[in-house]
Amino acid sequence: MHKKTVLLILLTFTLGASANVYQSRCVPCHKYQPATLEKMFMLYLKTHSVELSFKLSLKEFLKKPTEEKSLIGNKFIERFSVKGASDLNDTQLDEAIDTYWDLYNPKDNLK
Amino acid sequence: MLVSKSKGTSLHRSSERSSLLRFLALYITLVALLLLLLGMLHYKSQKELTFSNQRSILATYANEQYKAIKELHEEYPQNLTYPRNTKFRSAIYDLSGVKIFSLMKLNPKHFGRDMYRINDSIHFLKPLDENYYLGAKYLFIEVDEDFTWKDDVIKDIIIYGTLTLLVLAIFGFFFVSIFLRPMRNSITLLDDFIKDTTHELNTPISAILANIEMMDKDAMGEKNEKKLARINIAAKTVSHLYQDLTYLTLSHNRKSKDEWVDLKQLIQDRVEYFAILAGSKKITFTLDLKDSALFIDAVKIARVVDNLISNAIKYNKRHGTIFITLRKQHLIVRDTGIGIESNEVNEIFERYTRFNSSEGGFGIGLNIVRSIINEYSLQIEVESVLNQGTTIRINFLKGTIDA
Repeated sequence: MHKKTVLLILLTFTLGASANVYQSRCVPCHKYQPATLEKMFMLYLKTHSVELSFKLSLKEFLKKPTEEKSLIGNKFIERFSVKGASDLNDTQLDEAIDTYWDLYNPKDNLK
Repeated sequence: MLVSKSKGTSLHRSSERSSLLRFLALYITLVALLLLLLGMLHYKSQKELTFSNQRSILATYANEQYKAIKELHEEYPQNLTYPRNTKFRSAIYDLSGVKIFSLMKLNPKHFGRDMYRINDSIHFLKPLDENYYLGAKYLFIEVDEDFTWKDDVIKDIIIYGTLTLLVLAIFGFFFVSIFLRPMRNSITLLDDFIKDTTHELNTPISAILANIEMMDKDAMGEKNEKKLARINIAAKTVSHLYQDLTYLTLSHNRKSKDEWVDLKQLIQDRVEYFAILAGSKKITFTLDLKDSALFIDAVKIARVVDNLISNAIKYNKRHGTIFITLRKQHLIVRDTGIGIESNEVNEIFERYTRFNSSEGGFGIGLNIVRSIINEYSLQIEVESVLNQGTTIRINFLKGTIDA
């Protein structure tokens, strides 16, 4: 019983933490940018049909962003330049991307 | 007993008619099978034609749905409602074949075929190559298969198939008639020959038999008496043959004169008549006769009895026995002769068929028996065991009353 309680607390903490990574590190910046999170999601989805490919390419870009890897238009990059590399570690990035996927993917949201 | 006549005796054309019917049956069966095959091919081609006609319609539906999905992609996630259409059902799948969203009744079966049947539905696949709107790589369109063509095609197959079969059957009948003409000519030739021959036999045979009867047997020696008996047997054999041939060739011109015939008396007379013939093979008769009468043509029933006894003598062994049993409802003639194979029993009534080629005769006796039996709606049963003997039973069942 004691073990189960500990596990439940840990799970809640982990989920809360991952949601927090996305909420604390992604949402605040994109909120004021023309490249909204919704638009960026649909742009990635249009290019990467499969979940795994979507997540891998996004992670790779966030870790080492380049103009070539960027899916956003050239005019946008000319104006705002390519974003800087994320300072989140791999685990944090995975958690944030998972949250991002769960939030917008059509498979779970279309009706 | 009173027996009813069902049809006229017709021997001359029976084998021709039988061949005609057999050939026609075979011909019509083969033509029907061929038409059935053609009908199936037509049905299949119509099915494929209808299926391929659906392709352009389904492609239009797929384009409509593609545009709707593209629009939804732009509006997403503000709009989360997948586009629906009353004319079809659709589904989208990602590049790895995982379902994103589906309104279809059935899951897709093939991701590599653009169109296929599945149960009573048709699936049409449109791959999205350039942009994966909503993450979709595969767009499926599903419609219920249209079966309205089926009834029309089946109706056409039945109508045209039946008409063709009828026309071909009529042609077949004429062709068969032409093919059978040589056989008909041969039978006619044989019949004419028999008719002419028998006509010439009548007077001498009658003269021989009459003179044998009139001869004074007491005045001749034992040797001459034996010789006379042999002449008598030979003459009676020829006379019997003459009777059959006359019946066969002239009976068509003769009207039946039905009357009450005392069967017991008739059988006793005929046994006496054949006694000398049976005696030549040391064959004995065992009679078990009860009173029985039949309303029938006397000449015809005499032919039946004569032929049954004659055959029983002809195919019996030396020192054999012939058992004749007469009851109110049936007549049984059993011999202890050579018998025949069970699979040949049905053939013995065929004209010019003989039990054994070593014995004489034309093989017309049992054919005559059957024709008379059929004419009076009687019933005949044959049982035979090889090397043990043959039993022929005639039942007076249909239309009989007590005399």
